[in-house]
Amino acid sequence: MEFLQTCIDGLLFGSAYSLLALSFSLLFGVMKRINLAFGSTLLLSAVFSLWIDSVFSIGIFGIFLVMLGSSALINIYVEKLCFFPHRGNYGATVSMIASFAIWMQLDELSSFLLPDRTASFPSFLPDSLFLIDIFIRIDQLFLFFIAIFMTCIFFYVLYKTNYGLLLRGVSFDRELAKKIGVNSNKITSFAFAFSGIFGAIAAFLILSTESQVTPFFGFWCTLKGLVAMMLGGIGSLPGAIIGGLVLGLIESNVINYLGAEYRDICTYLILLFILVVKPGGLMGSAILRDERAASERI
Amino acid sequence: MLKVEDLVTSYGLIKALRNVSLEAEKGKLTCILGPNGAGKSTLLFTIAGILKSDKGSINFLNKDISKMKAPEIVKEGLVLVPENRLVFPHLSVQENLLAGAYSRFNRKNEVDEDIESMYRRFPILKERYSQEAGTLSGGEQQMLAVARALMARPKLLLMDEPSVGLAPKIVNTIFEIIKSLSEEGISIVLVEQNAVKASAIADHIYLLDQGEITFSGTPDQIEDNDIIKRAYLGDISES
Repeated sequence: MEFLQTCIDGLLFGSAYSLLALSFSLLFGVMKRINLAFGSTLLLSAVFSLWIDSVFSIGIFGIFLVMLGSSALINIYVEKLCFFPHRGNYGATVSMIASFAIWMQLDELSSFLLPDRTASFPSFLPDSLFLIDIFIRIDQLFLFFIAIFMTCIFFYVLYKTNYGLLLRGVSFDRELAKKIGVNSNKITSFAFAFSGIFGAIAAFLILSTESQVTPFFGFWCTLKGLVAMMLGGIGSLPGAIIGGLVLGLIESNVINYLGAEYRDICTYLILLFILVVKPGGLMGSAILRDERAASERI
Repeated sequence: MLKVEDLVTSYGLIKALRNVSLEAEKGKLTCILGPNGAGKSTLLFTIAGILKSDKGSINFLNKDISKMKAPEIVKEGLVLVPENRLVFPHLSVQENLLAGAYSRFNRKNEVDEDIESMYRRFPILKERYSQEAGTLSGGEQQMLAVARALMARPKLLLMDEPSVGLAPKIVNTIFEIIKSLSEEGISIVLVEQNAVKASAIADHIYLLDQGEITFSGTPDQIEDNDIIKRAYLGDISES
């Protein structure tokens, strides 16, 4: 029963990791770039909306909306500043380093808006639920269902809408998209805005279950998103979901059986092990194979 | 319809096109022949707005398009069928077709009708509509690329070496498709290395060598010109 309890805890929280990893994977898929500033974007949008709330008292729903909007805008800002100028074939390193610089910039801005280092974040549905012997927090359960719902929306946009179609086209072959006249810059900005909104929803849900925001939240998001993405397989969307859930399961079990201080070391050991045994992550080998086959055909 | 004047395009210090002038008439098949590295693809890319020209003008339907970007040029009705990497390998056949019609996504019925008409034109694509385009054969991918370009309802089709890398039998099929498109009244600018096949269907031929137009005339005029005939159609006269 104890094991079941930790697994449920892990899955519930892992769903938030999945959302973060999906946002990362989207950008990685479209740009073939890693955006280190993504977590800081989410932090700044959260801190900014709290600041707006302190001035205009917009309430929890207002905070949510301001977070979505500001996160989309900040993400487009990041794109225009460090990804747009280096969108050629050889800009991967430059843009990653540039995103590191932006990370610092956004974090400084956040701590400027957050002089007390920690601020309380409004929480909702603080009750808990007992099913037989299992203890479930309602807000985490809510987070889990929202995560499933958002994942459905994510796949709907990507696979059923015209923008999603062009987005996939640009992510597979930017040059060809350009040649047939697709405005790939616009599509890329759309992808950044989309992933910003998506990440902001994840960040909002996480922050309100934690009911506080600290300056480390940005780094935390970047780290968890990247680790979950690597576990599942870089560039694979189902992989991102599975990676997030696996990460949640590992963490909650390690915390329960070994203690919280072993959480990160065990997570990274398991990540190392998976990358050694299955290079490319749990779901990544199929992608590596496809890429190789595609480049051989050409 | 399309009028290019004194076009210069360079890669850094190297001039790939030196004062190229040419014209393509409405409803005609204009062919640009030339060896590897002559600047044929550069010329098409410059016209399509993918590369920027240094000098010269490109007029399409009495509109200067030399400063326009690729998406605007497609909207004007000038559509490129690229070479080599023709289709989005991980998108399905139907999605590839849809991607070609992206500039008029808001008119869904019209797009659906066009997709149906592409399937009538290329029945093999209908059979494979849900398959990933990367699994098609080379000839089928070429057909898909042509069909995708037609989805944009082009006024002028720019085709970049459609026969490259295909088996001889498939090359014949592709040239038949081009010929029938031309007979339907679609204006085409065709860039080719396969001089024999191209001159058999072309209305007007330009020869491009080291970035310069060295000959302009009808296929018959090439036949009459011994030097050019030997250089470009050498294979026939020897066999």
